[in-house]
Amino acid sequence: MDIHRRIQSQTSSTSTATPSKHAFETRVADVKSPKSDINALILDYLMMEGYPKAAEKFQKEANLKPKQEDPTINARQEIQHAIHVGNIQKAISDLNELDPGILDSDPHLHFSLLRLQLIELIRNAKGYDPTAAINFAQEKLAPRAASNEQFLKELEKTMALLIFPPDKLQPDLAALLHSDLRRNTAAQVNEVVLQRHTERREAAIRQLVRMRAWAEASCRSKKRNLPDRIELGLNNGDDNGHEPMVTS
Amino acid sequence: MAHSQSPPALLWQIQNARNHAEQIELLRQLKDEVIGDVRGKEKWVNHGILQSLVHLLQQKPTAQSPSGLGSKEAYAPISQTTDLPDDDRVRLLALQLIASFAKGGPSFLAPLNAVGVVPVILTYICPRKNPAQLVLTSLRALSDMTEAASLSSRTSTEDTAALAKALFVSRYIDSLCAILDAESTSSIVQEQKCLVASLISRLCKEPRYQDMLADAGVLDALATLLASFVVARGEVLPFTLDTLEREGLDAVIPQPAPRGLSLALILEAISVMIADSRFRTGLLLCSPAIMAVLISSEIGERKSQIYRTWEMLKKGGLTYGRPVDRSAIDYLLPAVPVTTPRFLLSQHPPSFPSTGGSLETPAKHTTRFMTKDREWLVGSGDTDEPESPLIPWLIHLMRSSTSDHEKVMAASVLASLFKGGFTSPDREFSLSVLVVPVLCHILKDYEKESGKSLDATFVDSETATAWAILERTPAVLARLIADSVFLQQITRDSGALKLACKLLKDSYEPSATQSPPRPWTPNPEERRDFGEDGFSACQLGPPGQVPACAHKIRMRESSLKLITSLATFKEEFRKEIVEQDILPSVAESLSETPQKPTPPKEKPKMEEDGAVPIHPAGHSPYGHNPTSVLIAACHAVRTLARSVSNLRTALDDNCVAMPIFKLLKHVDIDVKIAACSVICNLLIESSPMRDPLIKAGVIGVLCQYAKSDNSGLRLNALWALKHLVHMTDRDTKKQCLEELGPGWLIQLICDDTEDEALHARVMGERRHLTDADEDEVMDTDDGYAEATDDIWQWQAIHRKGPGFDSTRMRVADGMLRALREREFDEVRKAREADLAIQEQGLDFIRNLISIPNQPAQAEMVDYVFSELGQDRLFDILASKLRVKVLRPFARRQSSSSGTPGGGAGSGASGRNVSIDSRVLYPQSKIIVAVIYFLTHIAAGVPRHRQLVIAQTELLKLLAGHFNDKDVDVRRSLCHLLKNLVWCDGAEDRLGRDMRVFELEKLGFLQKLEGLERNDAELDVRERAKEAASSIKGEAGDGPQVPHGRVDY
Repeated sequence: MDIHRRIQSQTSSTSTATPSKHAFETRVADVKSPKSDINALILDYLMMEGYPKAAEKFQKEANLKPKQEDPTINARQEIQHAIHVGNIQKAISDLNELDPGILDSDPHLHFSLLRLQLIELIRNAKGYDPTAAINFAQEKLAPRAASNEQFLKELEKTMALLIFPPDKLQPDLAALLHSDLRRNTAAQVNEVVLQRHTERREAAIRQLVRMRAWAEASCRSKKRNLPDRIELGLNNGDDNGHEPMVTS
Repeated sequence: MAHSQSPPALLWQIQNARNHAEQIELLRQLKDEVIGDVRGKEKWVNHGILQSLVHLLQQKPTAQSPSGLGSKEAYAPISQTTDLPDDDRVRLLALQLIASFAKGGPSFLAPLNAVGVVPVILTYICPRKNPAQLVLTSLRALSDMTEAASLSSRTSTEDTAALAKALFVSRYIDSLCAILDAESTSSIVQEQKCLVASLISRLCKEPRYQDMLADAGVLDALATLLASFVVARGEVLPFTLDTLEREGLDAVIPQPAPRGLSLALILEAISVMIADSRFRTGLLLCSPAIMAVLISSEIGERKSQIYRTWEMLKKGGLTYGRPVDRSAIDYLLPAVPVTTPRFLLSQHPPSFPSTGGSLETPAKHTTRFMTKDREWLVGSGDTDEPESPLIPWLIHLMRSSTSDHEKVMAASVLASLFKGGFTSPDREFSLSVLVVPVLCHILKDYEKESGKSLDATFVDSETATAWAILERTPAVLARLIADSVFLQQITRDSGALKLACKLLKDSYEPSATQSPPRPWTPNPEERRDFGEDGFSACQLGPPGQVPACAHKIRMRESSLKLITSLATFKEEFRKEIVEQDILPSVAESLSETPQKPTPPKEKPKMEEDGAVPIHPAGHSPYGHNPTSVLIAACHAVRTLARSVSNLRTALDDNCVAMPIFKLLKHVDIDVKIAACSVICNLLIESSPMRDPLIKAGVIGVLCQYAKSDNSGLRLNALWALKHLVHMTDRDTKKQCLEELGPGWLIQLICDDTEDEALHARVMGERRHLTDADEDEVMDTDDGYAEATDDIWQWQAIHRKGPGFDSTRMRVADGMLRALREREFDEVRKAREADLAIQEQGLDFIRNLISIPNQPAQAEMVDYVFSELGQDRLFDILASKLRVKVLRPFARRQSSSSGTPGGGAGSGASGRNVSIDSRVLYPQSKIIVAVIYFLTHIAAGVPRHRQLVIAQTELLKLLAGHFNDKDVDVRRSLCHLLKNLVWCDGAEDRLGRDMRVFELEKLGFLQKLEGLERNDAELDVRERAKEAASSIKGEAGDGPQVPHGRVDY
C-alpha cells in the first residue's frame, strides 16, 4: 500500500489549484514520497522503453547509481528506430542478430513485422507496379495465413490496400498506413525482447498507473469518499505526447 | 536485400566463400531467411545445408587464437557480436542456424541427427575454451533439440534418452558444472545457467545420470545458486556471519543472485536431481552454501513476540512444536496450532491400512523410499539432530513467492525432503496447513485456464508456463502425500480429488490436430523437386505432436499419479474416485492407442476381444500413450483394486483385466513389472477377473516371468502366482506348479540368486581388472572395493580445500558417507531381493496346500511332497532357520567388516563389504513363512502331523526362535503347536500322545508357558495360553489355519 500512496501523492503533486481541499487530497498531501524513488522510476522507464542516451544523462543529472547495465538497450533502440522509419527488413535482421530465438518462437510477432514490411512495399509501389509486394505476400505471408484465421484476415485486409487509392481509404484501411501501426509494432517488439531478457515486460511506472486506475475504480464502485476527479497531473499543461501513459 | 538467392547458389557461396567476412554476410542472409519460416527451413534442409553447417563447426579454432577467452569475455554485451573474431562469428552463426532448424520441430530431428549435430554442438559448451556467446548459443541449440525431442510422438523417450546419453559424460558434465559455478553477473552467463538448469531438469531422469552429476559437483553448484537466492531475498539471519567466521565458512556465502537467474528453474533442476534418493537429498542439505546461509542455530532473542506466541500455544496444549528446537527461519512462518490428535499424523506411517478389503501388494517394491527406512536414519528425523532450516525456508518461499512456478518447484523439493525423512516429526502438520492447500489452490487456478482453445502449432510462453505448472502440480502433490494418510485427507478435503479426476477426464477430450499441419505453399510441386535421393540428412522425419497434444498426455500421467496416491490407503477415497466416473479414462490409459473413453453400459460387448481400432495408429484424436502413462495407469488400477468392492464392480465392468494382460507382455520391462503388480491384485480369490485371466493364459506368462533375470519381475510374478493358487481348484494348482517347474521353485526358495549374480558380476569385473593391469591390482587387497566405493570423496570439501574443517562439516561428511553406503550397497540390495523372493516362494507352496476340506488337502500335500521331494523340502526349511555361511571356502574378509546385509541389526558396513565369504542370519519374515507352511501341513491328516513331529532337527531349530524379536514369529509358533497337538478322532489319540510327548521332550511346553507369562504382546500371551492348554489336553477346537495375512 505504500507504493499506492506514493503514486497518488506523486500524481496529485501538481494539482494544487483546487479551491477547497477534499479530505482525500489533504491526506495525499501529507504523504511524503522520497525523490529518489521517483527518480528511480523515471530511470527505469527510460531504460525499459529504450532511450539509452536519455537514461545516461538523467542518471548523471539525478546523481543515481548506475543500474545493472542492460545489454539489450542499444539494440532495442535501434530496432525500434528501424521500425519507426519503416525499414522493417533491417529491424528483422537486427532482431535476429540480437536473439535468433525470438521470431522462431513468436509467430504472431513475426507476422506483424512481415505485414508491416508488406505495407511498406505497397506504400513504396505508390500504385504503379505491385509485383514485388504480391510476390512478397505470396512467399512470406500466405503460407502463415493459410493455417491461421487471424493472419488470413489481416493479410486480406492488407492486400486491399493494393486495390484502393491511398487517399480514399476506409478508416480501418487508412489505419494500416498510419504511423501508429509502426509505433505499436515497435512497442510490441520492445516488450517481447524485454520479456525474454529481463522477465519484465514493461516499465514499472506503467504498472503503477494501472494500479492507480484499478484502485480508483474499486474505490468508486464501493462508494468511498473520493473527489469527483483525481487529476493524473500530466494533462494540466500540454500532453507532451505521453499518451502511452494511459494504458489502463 | 529484399531479394533472396536460390538455395543452391547461396549454399555454394557459403561453402566457397573467400574470407570470413563474406561468409558471415551470407550466413546472416540465410539466417534471416530461415528464422520463423518452417517451409524455408525444410527447403534448406532438402538442399543439404545441415552438412555444411556441421562442417563449418568442425573447423576448430587454431591453437593460438583463444582470442580473449578470459572472464572479461563474459561481460560482452549480447548485441555486440562484432567483438568476436571473424572465425568465431562464423561458428556463432552456424550454431544459431542449427538452433533455428531445431526450433522447426520434431521433424527436423532426423536430419539433424543424421549429420551428427549433437557431438559437434557439445564441443562448444565448455566455458573455459569458448567465448560466452558460443557457449550460450550451443546451449540454446541443445535446449531447442530437447524441446523438439519432447514433442516427437512415438519415440519420445528414445530421442530424449539419446540426448541425455550424449550430454551426460564426464567431460561435458564438467563443462555444465563450470557454467553453473561461474561468478559473473552478466546476463549471458545467467541465461547459460538457466539453460543448463532446464536441460538438467528435462534430461536427467535416470538415477545413473543423477549420481554422475551429483558426484561431479553439479548438485552443489545448483545448491549454491539456491543459496544465492536466499541472500538476494535478504533472508540470511543476522547472527549467521559471526557463526560462520568462527567456523571459517564465511567465504562460502554466495553473492546475491543477479537478475536474470530463475529460481524456479534452479529448484526444478534440484528437485529432478535429488528425485527419490536419500543420498542426493542429503547432499543438497549438506551443501556448504546451504549450510552457511541457513544456519540452524536458535534465535537469540527469547522475548520476541512470536516466541511468546509459541509458548502460549504450547501451554494451552495447542501445539507440540518445541520452539526452542526450531531454527530461526521457522519464525518467518505462522505459528501453527496443532489441533489434530497426534495419532492422525503418521509418525509411524501405517504399513498397512486397517480398512477391510485392502490387500497386500508388492507396491512398496516399486517405490524407492520405503517407510522402514525411517528406522534407519542418520542423524535426521530423530530429535537430537535438528532438521535443516532449508525446510522452513522452502515453506516460507511457497507462501511468499509471487510466482506459481516457483511455489510448485519449492514443493517438489520439499516432497523429496519429507519423503526422505529429513523433516522433523511435527512437520507433517505444518505441511498440511501451509503447503498442501497452496498446491491445491494452484491446481484449482490453473485447471480453469487449461480449457482455452489454442492455436495448433504455436504456444506462447505464458501458456507454456501455465501448462508446465498444471502438469507438475498433481505429480508433486502425489509425491508429497504418498506415504501420509493425514496429508491425503487434507488433499481430498481441499477438493483435489475431484480435480484430479476432472483433469484426467479432460485429458481425453479429443484434439482436432495431432501433428503440425504442413505449411501451405504457393508452388506445391517444388517440394519434391529438390529432394535428394532419399539421403536422410536432407529429409525431414515424422512430424511429431503439437504441443497441446503432448500437454494432454503429460496431464494424463500426472493426474493418474495423484489418483494413485489418494487411493493408497483409504477405502472411502477409492470409492469416491470410482464415483467420479474416471474408470473408462483409466482403462484407456492402459492402452497405447487409446480410443474414446466410454462407460461400460454404452460399450458394445464385441469390443472386448480387441476389435479393430477406429482410428489408425498415430492419428487418433486421443493421442498415443507412452510407457510413462501406461505405468501410471497400472499403478492407479493397482491401488484402486485394493478395494474388493471396486474389484467386483467398477474395475470388472470397465474390463481392465484384458488391457493389463496385454501390458504384461509389453516389451518394456518396467511396464511388465507394473502390470504384474496389478495382476497380483486382480488374481485374488474374490476377484471376478481371475477366471478370465486364467483362461487368457496368465499362468504361462507368470511362470515364465518367475524365471526372469530381473529380480523385480521375478518377485512380482511369484507374488501373483501365490495369489493365484490360493483357494483355487486342484487342477489349477497343479498346473501352476508344473509350469513353474518344481526344480525352479526349489531353486527360488533355496538359493540366494541375486547374491550369486552379484558375486559372479563382481568376480567378472575383478578378473577383468586383473587382466587389464595386473601389477597394480595385485598389490591392493580388494580390487572391487577399490574400484568403486572407496574413492568417493565429498566434492564440496574436496574442491574447496581447507577451511572446511568445522565440526558441522565433519558431521555432515559422516552423514553423507553413511547415506551413500546405504544407497550404494549392492550386497544389501541383492540380499533384500533374495529374501523377498524366498518369502514369496515359501508362501506360494503354503497356498498350494491350503485347502479347507480334508481328503483334497492331504492329497495336495502328498503331491507337493512328491514333486518337490519330501526330505529335500524339510532340509531347505531347516536351512532357513539356521545361520548360513555363504561361500565358506572363498577368501574371508578381515575381521573389521561387520555382518553386511545379515541380521536386521547389522548396518551396512559399506567400505569393508566383501562379496566373498559371508554369514547370513535367519530372517524373521522367512521364519514366519516356514512356520506357517508347517502349520498348514499340521492342519491336515494325522499322518502329516506325525511327519512334522518326526523332523526333530527342524523342531529343535524352531525351539530356538521362541524369543525372536518379531512378534509374528512368536505368534506363528503358537499356531503351529496348537495344530500339532490337535487330536483328529479316536484313532489319532495314540498319535497325539506321542506328539505331545515329543514336544514336551523338546521343551516346547515350557517355552509356551514362558510366552504366556512374559510376552509383551497380549495377543501372543493369549495364543500361547491356548496352545499350552491344548498340549495339556484341555481344549480342542480343531485345527486352525491362522487368519489374516497368511491367507494371501
